[in-house]
Amino acid sequence: MLREKQLQALADIVGEDHFSAEEYMRKLYSHDVGALPGLVDDILKTKADAVAQPMSSEIVSNLLKFCRKNKIPVVPRGHGTSGYGGALPTKAGVSIEMTRMNAIYDIDHDTMTIEVGAGIIWSKLLEDLEDEGLTVRAYPSSAPSSTVGGWVAAGGTGIGSTKYGGVKEQVVDLEVVLPDGQIIRSANPPQEFLDSIEDHDYKYLANEDEYLWAIGKISKDINDITDLFVDSNGTLGVITKVVLRVIPLQTIRPLVASFERKEQMVWAMQDLMKKTKPFYLHFITDGFFGMLKEVGMAPESTHPWLILCAFEGSQSSIAEEEKLFKEAIGDNFGVVESDHLGEHEWAERFYPMRIKRLGPSLAPSEVYVPLKNIVSFIERCDKHFKGESFALEGAVTDTGEVAVLAWFLDDERKTISFLMGWYRSLDFIEMGLKDGGRAYSIGMWNVAHSRSFYGKQELARMASIKRKTDPKRYMNPTKVFPGPLQLSFRFNLLILIVAAIAVPVVLWIANILIGDLLSQYISWLLVTDVQSAILAFGIGLIIGVAAIEVVNWVPITFMLTMGRPFLRLGRKIFH
Amino acid sequence: MGSKVFEKLKKDALDAETLICARCGFCTFVCPAYNDTLWDSQSPRGKLYQLRELIKNNKPIPADFADRIFKCTLCGACQEICQTNIPLLRFWQQIRQEINEVGHWPEVVKFLDNSIQESKNIMDLDQEDRTLWTDMVDDIVEDKIGVPAKVAYFAGCNISFKGTLAPIGESTAKLFDHLGIEFTTLGENEFCCGNPYFVAGEWDKAKELAEHHLSELKRLGVEMVVFNCPGCHRAFNEEYPHMLGSESTQGIEFIPYSEFVVRMMKEGKLKFTQEYNHVVSWHDPCELGRHQNIYNESREVLNAIPGLELREMKHTKNKADCCGGGGLLKGTNPLMSVRISERRIASAEKTGADILSSECPSCMMSFNDGIESKNSEIKFKDLAQIVAEALGL
Ligand SMILES: Cc1cc2nc3c(=O)[nH]c(=O)nc-3n(C[C@H](O)[C@H](O)[C@H](O)COP(=O)(O)OP(=O)(O)OC[C@H]3O[C@@H](n4cnc5c(N)ncnc54)[C@H](O)[C@@H]3O)c2cc1C
Ligand code: SF4
Repeated sequence: MLREKQLQALADIVGEDHFSAEEYMRKLYSHDVGALPGLVDDILKTKADAVAQPMSSEIVSNLLKFCRKNKIPVVPRGHGTSGYGGALPTKAGVSIEMTRMNAIYDIDHDTMTIEVGAGIIWSKLLEDLEDEGLTVRAYPSSAPSSTVGGWVAAGGTGIGSTKYGGVKEQVVDLEVVLPDGQIIRSANPPQEFLDSIEDHDYKYLANEDEYLWAIGKISKDINDITDLFVDSNGTLGVITKVVLRVIPLQTIRPLVASFERKEQMVWAMQDLMKKTKPFYLHFITDGFFGMLKEVGMAPESTHPWLILCAFEGSQSSIAEEEKLFKEAIGDNFGVVESDHLGEHEWAERFYPMRIKRLGPSLAPSEVYVPLKNIVSFIERCDKHFKGESFALEGAVTDTGEVAVLAWFLDDERKTISFLMGWYRSLDFIEMGLKDGGRAYSIGMWNVAHSRSFYGKQELARMASIKRKTDPKRYMNPTKVFPGPLQLSFRFNLLILIVAAIAVPVVLWIANILIGDLLSQYISWLLVTDVQSAILAFGIGLIIGVAAIEVVNWVPITFMLTMGRPFLRLGRKIFH
Repeated sequence: MGSKVFEKLKKDALDAETLICARCGFCTFVCPAYNDTLWDSQSPRGKLYQLRELIKNNKPIPADFADRIFKCTLCGACQEICQTNIPLLRFWQQIRQEINEVGHWPEVVKFLDNSIQESKNIMDLDQEDRTLWTDMVDDIVEDKIGVPAKVAYFAGCNISFKGTLAPIGESTAKLFDHLGIEFTTLGENEFCCGNPYFVAGEWDKAKELAEHHLSELKRLGVEMVVFNCPGCHRAFNEEYPHMLGSESTQGIEFIPYSEFVVRMMKEGKLKFTQEYNHVVSWHDPCELGRHQNIYNESREVLNAIPGLELREMKHTKNKADCCGGGGLLKGTNPLMSVRISERRIASAEKTGADILSSECPSCMMSFNDGIESKNSEIKFKDLAQIVAEALGL
């Protein structure tokens, strides 16, 4: 809990109007789209102490300097639309919400790049670019509410990624306020900063070639460390400005086809990826279709396996691609649906959570799986999650992977069963890995996959920036880097009380059951009267303190990995 | 009180909507109140999140939260964009009703309630002054008050009592006259339509008003009622049958002004021939647009006027931004209301229009306040005024 003086100092830095430590505000800025099982709330400090909405990079810098000095955890936040836990406080602290830094600073038609404030919302950006005859290469389906900086920090693919790649492929440069308060440009950071992190880096790399390869990707300058900040989930600093590549605004032609069987749908998508270059290629399973039907939102298509394929380009190039589309669908026994249905599904591209009404809770999970393995993956999921209500959808990326999103229906009011159901989101990623996939985004819940997700080299470089600028890990703790959890005061107290009570009780029972045996070795420990009970209570307290120390150093990865089988079993019992 | 909190919400199964909310935040950046503060406490998402906890713990809405809930224009933009199809308009209305249950209605809402109960209008004025709006068109309206006719004009409290809004009614009366239509108005028997109660979630209190109006209209043999005010129109068209059953309004048609003009055009009774050289930007009133899905008629009218160029704002029809006047915000939070209207005016200015138009007295009030505080060059004219001017009436 922050002291009054600290709160006032923070308010002075950011401005009274842009700062709040009101109870209700703290709660509102401490959630993302995932519902947390009550127990997690009890165990961790998931409520921020205060919320700050900075207006400039300098204010962010001053905030970070103050927080670093005062060891106040900081959680950068866009608009809280992610579901991987990246924007959730775990050790309380200050939530720095970026939506006031929402300006468009520059639109450069020559280099086809734009510079925007990290807090601008994608849909607002799309709208403003439209006036300039431009558009972005890809945007998330949360565009009506997510920030540019938030998607850059969370990483991922979205609408447009089938043709242009994910957010990483769009970002040219970032302005980042590092945890030590230094403001840098990621495409051209100060040499002394680079020198200091490179020193660290070499320790983790086999040889020079490997190093050059690691950061020389996408033909960038050796000095360019932009990639390290993309999908770093706010652990390496606060992104304040983003320079993005843009493209001319062209016609979009959305088309929908339906299939009777999943194999036909996947073959058709493979054909489409070979013969055409869709802007967006997305599918839903028959399960998803069924759920849409239940909420009255299913399109009136011939079959339940559905793909939405949108082409982007000139009228003539689109006409050519449309022809190839129809061929591919016909070749694979699909039905090309009406234009009206195409338009409808295109408008629905922002609405993956229509089915939530059936929950009313929805546990999401996402993983990349190669398109060629999708049929096997779907079958694997059907088998593994038998008895669970879930739906899958997926969007193909430019590299031929599919970002597969699973939605598990649940009811958070059923506390125990809901908690146990958590294993599904973790298992889903494991299923994907079995089919040659990889984690989608790290945040907090997927922190066990950090190494494979970022790659050894990149994670090493990220870690060296972290070590240099944030040795105490105050910046978005327990995200990306699987550090120890710090339990809430309530939970620590619980451990202490349980230990203090359990020890005398156990020793008292032991005395009753096997008192004769024990009195030969540890007679002084047996609980026989009030005095010995007090002694045992004291020992219990000491054990409790020791247990707290140990538990507070357990890494989150350990908790998540070890907990999974228990959750799975528990779910079977309680569901 | 404990067990009774949120009783009506639960009865209508709306309490679960707070759980159904996905917290996607789509409703935030379309919400005029959120955009005014950029604090989530002011957004639909934020309010639902807070309500969810109160409902779960069976706790009444505290006074400060009640204030925040009333910072809302009920424009319906949240419902339109909602990820999980939550019927948010009904929901907010019900929550306002719940706020009354726990005694936290804002003073101005209490004033409206008293005023309607005692004076039958929202201004607490004498019903004798109902016909103030007719002063400039006395010659046309004088012998139309309370007479039997097939067509009725329902002016509503705002047009009736507020001098600045009277030109809307005057223009409509002139059009009736121009078309030679025999019409009637209820005069002193025109009460508040009940809209403030719908906005405040107290349907029961509006029942008597609805019954009164319908029996008056039937007594006069009215078959069609024309409205300049979309709030009144929605009350008659949607809320009355909802409250009293669909048979209660059978045989009477309720139509907005624009639709009436379109009908006259289609029947060949009305034709615009004179040039009206203005660039007009059209604002869709929430109660007509998003609430009732009526978008095209006004545009049809404007496009039929020679010389008039219609330039749409970026956000139109179901995506139109609010004028700031709805949901009683003008009374509960006048400054916020003006700021919201200024933002909408800025969008209209961007189109290069010299006239901002709508068909709604509430929008007219809001925009005139906004234009004044923003020092804008743009002029606001109601559709009825444009039509009358274009016809040279
Ligand atoms: C309906 C819906 C559709 C979605 N569709 C997609 C999709 O198509 N593709 C996809 O990848 N994701 C999608 N998501 C997930 C989510 O929207 C994205 O991850 C999103 O871009 C996050 O943006 P945000 O502004 O809400 O960030 P938040 O959720 O607030 O934050 C995300 C992470 O970034 C960090 N962060 C935020 N801003 C900054 C900053 N300025 N500097 C440093 N760190 C920061 C946070 O600490 C957190 O770790 C969807 C979510 C919803 C609800
Ligand atoms: S748009 Fe609907 S689901 Fe999304 S946050 Fe708003 S109310 Fe909730």
